Amino acid sequence: MSALPVTPSQTVGPFFHDCLLRDDRCEAMVGDDGGAQIRVEGRVIDGDAAPVPDAVIEVWQAAGFARIGTDAEGRFSFATTRPNRVELDRGTMQAPHFSVAVFARGLMNHLLTRIYFEDDPATESDPILRLVPESRRPTLIARRAADRSLTPLYRFDIVLQGAGETVFFDFRSAAR
Amino acid sequence: MITTIGEIVRGDAAVFPPYLYEAYRSTLRRAPRLPLVEVPLTASELTRPRLDVSRVTADDADLTRNAGTGGEALGQRIIVTGRVMDEDGLPVPGALLEVWQANAAGRYIHKRDDWPGPLDPNFLGIGRCLTSDAGEYRFLTVRPGAYPWGNHENAWRPAHIHFSVLAPSWAQRLVTQMYFPDDPLLPLDPILNAVPEGARSRLVATYAHDVTEPHWALGWRWDIVLAGPRATAFETRERSAA
Repeated sequence: MSALPVTPSQTVGPFFHDCLLRDDRCEAMVGDDGGAQIRVEGRVIDGDAAPVPDAVIEVWQAAGFARIGTDAEGRFSFATTRPNRVELDRGTMQAPHFSVAVFARGLMNHLLTRIYFEDDPATESDPILRLVPESRRPTLIARRAADRSLTPLYRFDIVLQGAGETVFFDFRSAAR
Repeated sequence: MITTIGEIVRGDAAVFPPYLYEAYRSTLRRAPRLPLVEVPLTASELTRPRLDVSRVTADDADLTRNAGTGGEALGQRIIVTGRVMDEDGLPVPGALLEVWQANAAGRYIHKRDDWPGPLDPNFLGIGRCLTSDAGEYRFLTVRPGAYPWGNHENAWRPAHIHFSVLAPSWAQRLVTQMYFPDDPLLPLDPILNAVPEGARSRLVATYAHDVTEPHWALGWRWDIVLAGPRATAFETRERSAA
């Protein structure tokens, strides 16, 4: 069977908020499995190290999905269940991580990245992380931050361009 | 038009636009400059998280009335319908489609859209629906107007409807825009032009007289074909976990 022509992507533009971020579905991780809670905070910044105030990130893990908009300072924050290890393929496990998509005006296609955890012993040997040049791996690892609340807090910035540019992924495709 | 076109593309470079497309100014400081890292698809990308879609109602797909005012939006009433499929032509059922658009005068309700086009109190420009078992969707709305933007001198976006597609597989996630074929602004638009020429027409709807309803609304058909594999390999486990 011949493959159908794939539909190209377009930017999310500047006017998505009322649609994509219109209700509490966007704030809370859906499908909470009752596990330990963590909070992740960070900023989205551009090639001038300026905040990106009109980005939206989507966070996926086995327990659910969340969508979070950035504020005027480019900040985002979400609280959810700490992710579990996920199978890579039969017999190989990945370290706990979130899958993340970044959308913004000026991004012609969403960017894909991952959030790993510096204090998880599995992170270092994660098979996907090991495909990333070693010098760039730190851009994918959330840092444990000091905080006074009972919920562990992690910091993770998304640098779209320039110094400390976050690693973004493409999927290896069979037919390319 | 001469413009710098970056080499970094996610997905098939014959289909997807490059991140850097100079003529669209907002790409200059936001496009990544380092190569994407190629990784295999894993359970993380093929497992579908449970989505809370219980609040999607039939009314959400009627943008002419979903402002909740009791009044009807002004403009040319249109039906936009089509199928969401994967590359093999198999329907993608249960995908969440979210749409947003300007009103008939080209104005968004968004607080940052402040050009002097009139707002319509009966139009939010927001809709959503779930695809049927056959992958079909259908929205009733009004035809959006073109609107000016600050990208370059006398820049106007062609009329378009933004589409977000949340498919059962993370790898199939898509956000895009649908255009109308009789729009003279299409060849002038750097956002559409960032798409490789051979794939641009895929973003343009087709007038469908069989969709048009007499004395009611004009019909447009636009199918969406998602790249990437569907969530087959891990389906069983997902079901057992649900």
